[in-house]
Amino acid sequence: MLRRPPSLIIVLVLLLLGDGSAQKTVRASADVQNSVATDEGIAIVVNQENTVENLSMKDLRSIFLGERSHWGNGRRITLVMMEPGQLERKAILRDIYRMNEADFSRHFLQGLFTGEVFVSPKTLASPVGVRKFIFNVPGAIGYVRASDVDSTIKVVRIDGRLPDDKDYELRMQPHTGTK
Amino acid sequence: MSAATAKSSTRPGPPGAHSIVDRFLYEISRYSSTLLLLMVFTVETGVVIFVIRDLRAADSEVQTMYVRSVIGLRGIGGLQYDAQETRRATLYALTTNDSNLQVEYADQSRDADRRVTNGINEYLARARTASEIEVGKRLQSDWVEYLKVRDEVLASILEGSIKEAVDYDLKGGVPSFDRVRQDLEEIKRQYDEQASRQLADVDESSRRSAGRLVGVLCFTLLFASVSIWAIQRARMLSALKLAKLQMDFVASVSHELRTPLAVISASAQNIADGVVQEKDQLTRYGNVIRNHTRQLTELVNQILLFASTREGRTHYVMRPMSIEQLIDSVTHNTREVMREAGFTVDLQIEGDLPPILGDISALSQCLQNLVGNAIKYGGKSGRIALRAFLHKSDGPLSDEICIAVEDHGIGIDTSDLPHIFDPFYRSPAVAAAQIHGTGLGLPLAKSIAEAMGGKIMVVTKLGVGSVFTLHLPALKKGTLQTETISPDLLTRQ
Repeated sequence: MLRRPPSLIIVLVLLLLGDGSAQKTVRASADVQNSVATDEGIAIVVNQENTVENLSMKDLRSIFLGERSHWGNGRRITLVMMEPGQLERKAILRDIYRMNEADFSRHFLQGLFTGEVFVSPKTLASPVGVRKFIFNVPGAIGYVRASDVDSTIKVVRIDGRLPDDKDYELRMQPHTGTK
Repeated sequence: MSAATAKSSTRPGPPGAHSIVDRFLYEISRYSSTLLLLMVFTVETGVVIFVIRDLRAADSEVQTMYVRSVIGLRGIGGLQYDAQETRRATLYALTTNDSNLQVEYADQSRDADRRVTNGINEYLARARTASEIEVGKRLQSDWVEYLKVRDEVLASILEGSIKEAVDYDLKGGVPSFDRVRQDLEEIKRQYDEQASRQLADVDESSRRSAGRLVGVLCFTLLFASVSIWAIQRARMLSALKLAKLQMDFVASVSHELRTPLAVISASAQNIADGVVQEKDQLTRYGNVIRNHTRQLTELVNQILLFASTREGRTHYVMRPMSIEQLIDSVTHNTREVMREAGFTVDLQIEGDLPPILGDISALSQCLQNLVGNAIKYGGKSGRIALRAFLHKSDGPLSDEICIAVEDHGIGIDTSDLPHIFDPFYRSPAVAAAQIHGTGLGLPLAKSIAEAMGGKIMVVTKLGVGSVFTLHLPALKKGTLQTETISPDLLTRQ
């Protein structure tokens, strides 16, 4: 305890002396994060209680389009989306829905009206919100960046692949690899 | 034979001191009332320590009760609040369609339920009695049940199935939460009962403390009163004893003075009246007057000497001297008395005795008193023995010169032995036998012996005789010749 004040003083002095370099470091790490983000995978996540481990891209698309209402265990499917404008949402619209925002909205409005769509997506503002939602709802399915995954939720394989795998299709930037 | 030393003596009981209590008080008063006061102080200190310990114990009891009850009740209050918070946040989620807000409420509900779960675990860890453990486990089980329902309700709300959520809550949530609430109330009631019991205990303990305090104070007051009474009574008995001794002394001295004065007066009257005309008769009358005058002088000197030793005014001139020198002085000064009493002295002085340090005049007076007593109480044997010998010391103390005065007279009764060195004390048997004396000879001898760093020991047997031995520290041989004595040893008060 007696050593704490000197340690604090040393840290403060170092921060003051190295103020410029610290800013540079922060900026550099942000650049690195952006560059990583461009190639980062998007994880499809479900509640820990959900027994589903793997989904085909076809099944995933069907679920996200609201064409399936229940999981195999009888639990109702709840689809979780992030708010419009977010990079993850753009990637999901591009890679799963293959729609733009307007088409997406139209699809669900029309589908719910005609009864072809069983699930109305829930919209959350942040990855943290998505995680908490999925943690609380056993039948929920959503998506977050691979780096936002934690132990409260479970990542589902898509066509047997995880976000870190080379040929994983769902990424922040369009996938350029071969299937 | 019985033996006593000059340093161990007990006075007889005071006049009128017949009861055991008076005897005890008198004995205590001999060692001064300081002892009594010390006893009172010790008892008072003990009482104060007892009272302080009692108060501390009561205080500790109250603190323990406060900690258990107040902290326990505070914990239960917290549990009740967090349980309500868990439910409140869940129900708040029903009030909005915003998924973000719903998630936030769910989060708040889960935070609160974690606090409740931890609180229940803490309560179970603290629980001591069987009923506490039982209700704690019941609460734990009911809480888990409620959380299962709460999770379903939350899931339904977040899914958007509000009706389903309300149904779940009404069917499962409300009853299970009521059970939780009842469990918490039960725990609170237990704490209340426990606190009431402890309060009663503390009340009882407080009453006990107050009772003890009153008892102790009463005892202290009684003890102090008895002590004061005892001190005063001891002083009174001591004063009575002194007064009696002084009266005895005055009577004795008056008698001792009156006899020679009467003889001197009668002799002088006869000479003045011309009754005595022959030269032989005049010589005889002159001798009688001289002898009785000397007796008077000795008596007055002894009284003055005793008074001065008691007041600490006596100054001794300490010089090295040989034993032969001392014995010569004693035999010379007592020769006349012995001759008149028809006594002979048997002198036995060991050869080559080391010298002693002392006031020759005082030591001579000391031994003269012992010799005088030997003559006075020597009966009809007509002989006394005066022996001087060396007593080698085994320990670190120096060797001693012992000068023993032995008579073959009436001896001393065992009951008188402890008192013979007390001033003015005269054995009842001696007084009855009309043996005159002041009761100052032995106390004076004792004072002188102690002033010279020595002591007097007595060995006696009733009807056989007594041996009074003066013990004096011996100097190293050769001291007498060189006379190199430290100046501070040369005078002693």
